[in-house]
Parts: sequence; C-alpha cells; structure tokens
Amino acid sequence: MTAATVALRHVRPRELTARLGGRQAAAGIGILVVLILVALLAPVLAPHSPDAIDADHILAGPSWSHPFGFDALGRDVLSRVLFAYRASLGVSIGAVALALALGLPIGIVAGYFGGVVDNLLMRPIDLLLALPALLLAISLISITGPGELVALFAIATIYLPILARVVRSSVLAVSRELYVEGARARGVSHARTIWSHVVPNALGPAVVQASVLAGFALQIEAALSFLGLGAQPPTPSLGLMLADGYQVLQQAPWADIFPGLAIAITVVAFNLVGDGLRSKLDPRGISG
Amino acid sequence: MSVLRLDHVSVLYGRVSAVSDVSLAVDEGEIFALVGESGCGKTTLAMSIMGLLPRAAAVAGTIEFLGRDLTALGEEERAALRGDRISMVFQDPASALDPAFSVGEQIAETIRAHKRVGLREAKARALRLLEEVGIPDAPRRYRDPPHRFSGGMQQRVVIATALANEPALLIADEPTAALDVTIQAQILDLMRELRRRHRTTILLIAHDFGVVAQLCDRAGVLYAGQLVEVAPVGALFAESRHPYTAALLGALPSAEHARGALPAAPGQVPDLVSPPPGCRFQPRCPLRRAECDLVPPLAPVGDHLTACWATPETQALGRELAIAGGGA
Repeated sequence: MTAATVALRHVRPRELTARLGGRQAAAGIGILVVLILVALLAPVLAPHSPDAIDADHILAGPSWSHPFGFDALGRDVLSRVLFAYRASLGVSIGAVALALALGLPIGIVAGYFGGVVDNLLMRPIDLLLALPALLLAISLISITGPGELVALFAIATIYLPILARVVRSSVLAVSRELYVEGARARGVSHARTIWSHVVPNALGPAVVQASVLAGFALQIEAALSFLGLGAQPPTPSLGLMLADGYQVLQQAPWADIFPGLAIAITVVAFNLVGDGLRSKLDPRGISG
Repeated sequence: MSVLRLDHVSVLYGRVSAVSDVSLAVDEGEIFALVGESGCGKTTLAMSIMGLLPRAAAVAGTIEFLGRDLTALGEEERAALRGDRISMVFQDPASALDPAFSVGEQIAETIRAHKRVGLREAKARALRLLEEVGIPDAPRRYRDPPHRFSGGMQQRVVIATALANEPALLIADEPTAALDVTIQAQILDLMRELRRRHRTTILLIAHDFGVVAQLCDRAGVLYAGQLVEVAPVGALFAESRHPYTAALLGALPSAEHARGALPAAPGQVPDLVSPPPGCRFQPRCPLRRAECDLVPPLAPVGDHLTACWATPETQALGRELAIAGGGA
C-alpha cells in the first residue's frame, strides 16, 4: 500500500481534487493524463503520418491542415509531436518507474535496519553516483546499439542512487519517530511496522523527487537524442525534434518551438504534481 | 498476587549505570508510581519491562510478569506480550500516533496483531474502546487522522490503543505531561475509572507529585538509578523517611513559601558513568555518615521501605544482611 493509495481510499468525488494534492497537483495530473492519452492515441489523433514526406512543403509555415507547420524534411510537425510523446513519456516515466522499483526497497531496508545492512546496500548504490549519464549511455550503446530502451536504462541507472538515498534518509528519520516505537510497543511485527507505519510516512519526499526527476528525464532524453544516442530516426522523440529544428530555427521556428513547448508543458506538469504532492504528503499539513 | 516483580534489576548503557539494583513488586489492580527527576532511570526501567531498550543496553536481574521471567524470553515471545498483556501509554500523544493512519485503524491494528479476528470484528471492538475512553461521536471519528484531535482526545486514543487487548499491566510514561491541567484531571479520572472497571495494574511514571497524589496507591522514589524509598502515597507525602524524598518534597512550591527561592538540595545529580559508591545521594545528603559508602538495603520503616543508613531500621537490616552474607 503506497501513500497514494492510502490517500485515495474512501474517496468521494467532490474530494477528488483535494485528495490528488490540491489544485496544483490535480492540474499537473490532469495534463499528464491528457498527454499520456495523446501518446497512446497518436495514430488516431494525428492528422497525418509522422513519417510522410511532402517535398513541396519543406519548412512551410503553419496552415489550417498543418497547424504546427512542416520540418526540414517536409513532415507534419503536429503529427510528429503527437507521436514523439510515445518515446519521450515512455522513456521518462519508464526510467523513473524502474528507478523507483529498485530504489524504494533498497532505501527502505537500508534506512530501517541501518548499520551493516545499510552499508552493504548503500555503498554499491553510491558507486552509481560516480557514473556520468552520457558515458554510461555510450557504454551501454556499445553493447546493445542505440535506442529508447538504452536511454531508459541509462536514465534509470542515474536515478536509482538519487531515489534510494532520498527514501533511505526519510525512512531513517521516520523510523526514529515515537509512533514507530509505539507500534513496536503494541506488538506489531517488524514487517508490518515497516509496511504500514514507516513506508506511508516516508514515501512523500521520494514521490515528490520522482515527479521532478521525471520532468528532468525528458530533458536528458532530449540530450541523448540530440547526441544520437536515444530514439533513432525516423522514430520521433521530442528531444530529437528539438535537435533537428534547432538547425532551421531562423527559417522555420515552428519546427523547433512546438516540440520545445511540448517538452515545457510536460516538465511543468511533472513539477506541478511534485509541488502539489510536497504539501499534500506532509500528513499534518494544513491541506490534509 | 503481584503482577510485576522486579528483582535486583540493573541496566547499563555501555558504562552508564542507568538503573542500579532495583527491586519492587506491584500488586494486581494497584496503581504504582515511579517518581524521580529526569534521568533517574524511570523510563529506562519501563522500557526494560517492555523489552524495548536499545540493543546497546544490558539488563541484569529478573523481571517477573505474572510469574514468568521476562528477561529469559526471546524477542518473539516478548513481542507477543507487548500490546497484549503489557501495554504502554507514551508521554506525547501527538507523536505516539501515526499521522498517516486513522485513529480507529491504529486500535484495530493492535487488536489484529494479537488476536485472530476479522477486520469487521476488530473495528467493532475499536469503536467500543473509543467510546469507553470517552471519544464523543466515535463511529464518525473512527476514520479521522490523529491531527484532527485535541491533545487530550489524542491521549484518550492512545489509552484506548493500550487497552485494546485488555492488558494485565499498563505502563504509563508521564501520560499527562504534555497536557494542560484540566485535561490532565480528565485523563487521570479516566485511568482511575479503567482501573476500577478492569482491575488493570498501572505502573505510572511521573515527575509530577500532584498527579501521583491524585491517582496512585503507592510510589517508589528513584534517585540516579537507585530506588531509595517505597511507600503508600499518603504516607510518602505526610512523612518521607529518605532524605532525598524529603528534599524533593521540600522543593515543591506551596502556599507557605510562595515568595523567594525554593529550597533545593545542594550539588548536582551524580555522573552515572562513575557514580559515588554506596548510596548515590550521599554527596548531597545532610545526614551523610560513614556507612553511606555501602549500598543501603530497603528496610521496612513503618509502612515505608527506606534505603538510608540514617534510619535505625536500615542499620539493623544492614547488620543482619552482613551477618547472613558473612560480613561486608
């Protein structure tokens, strides 16, 4: 049971906004849900094929049938942006999910038991902090070849130590709370104490961090694609489009601005969620 | 029959002698107070009964609960007793309750940690407990998180949690210290009422003599880890036999010396890494004598038990023990 499900039990509709963490987080979650739907429904929503080349309209400006204009190869920018969300959101959300899936248990166990267990788990994790993202991605690519999955694994590897450390430190603090000792004084077992008293109270900072990191992941993905290490053409990714559009920014700003806006909206949405949850997940906070 | 019997219990935190050779017995249905200053070992003693001392602490002696020596039990057996037969009320209710859980769920969890009952049954019992400790409108408040309750109501919830499995022994560690005086009186009433209804034995840890006088049957006075005096509360206040108890009671503010500084025993509480030999109060004691370098035994003096060489009874008992033990 995560903090989110604890908060979401017994929801009445009118409380939904409050339960989602106030207007901020609700807005962020709303935007993200729309963007995820866009990514999933891209084949239905896109007015044109993302790969179709119209040689007559290279760098042509926005029009009614092509509201975001054309890129340097004469492809429809709107359709490409819609499809690009698949790679970009997939990589950013997937990387954070993977890092959380590994980092949460490691951080929880290390923080709760401390001592030798803590050292055994956290020192190898700390080693990961020493690996620069791009070098890591390049070495991964030399093994597997480039692609979105490689970008996903590289980003997850960078995020794992960050999230594990955040979880560990908040678990460490919560484990020393009187109510955890109180649970032990009521005869509640270690496993159950961790699960129902430590984790729900310690998860807040990690969830906030994860939502902010998801926003950054989009930018890292963009950087990797820019270097040709992420999504491979013709697969559209927001980072790749930004990189391509940059070269024609003066003649056809729409080829660069719309993917850039798409990234910005996504990052803002992730940050709204992060900020909203930050205040919401302090259980004693006034918003509770 | 005594519910709790401590026999020569000592607790060491590394080199710190936090509790030294404490023996006492608490009878069924009795409310027994452990009083003393901060750092005198009250809470350490309570935690040693709960089995919740940090791993670095070493406990010597025996702690008998309903005839079983707790110090001989494994961690699992002790966990099974905690919250079931022995439970604890902490000082600060606001931090003793998990902010992410509703109060009702915390009580139900305590029940389900020890009894094979379904969620519905546990909830019904938790509701009865909330009603019993005087939470108004309990069914509606069952789902409320702790921060929606006032301090006094939170402490009622903590007490309900402690009573969830009808413990034989309730340890209350300064249960009213974080509450204001009117709420304090209500909580004391509640504890008195619970004792009357369930015959729960209560070990109250307090530094507030007002609370002790209102609630308790007997009290034991701890100084620097040593038990210096045990007496019925009335007798303790009327006539303290031990010079430390006398000094402690003398330092209480009262109508007679409403002005000016309160009398205080000279000196400081000793360093527990290298406490003075024998009676630990001796460096500050007005009745200090040569024997004080030996630990005085707790001797019956009237209805008191007093450990002070300045009382003839302790001297007599000391001589007896010395003869029985082949000289000391």
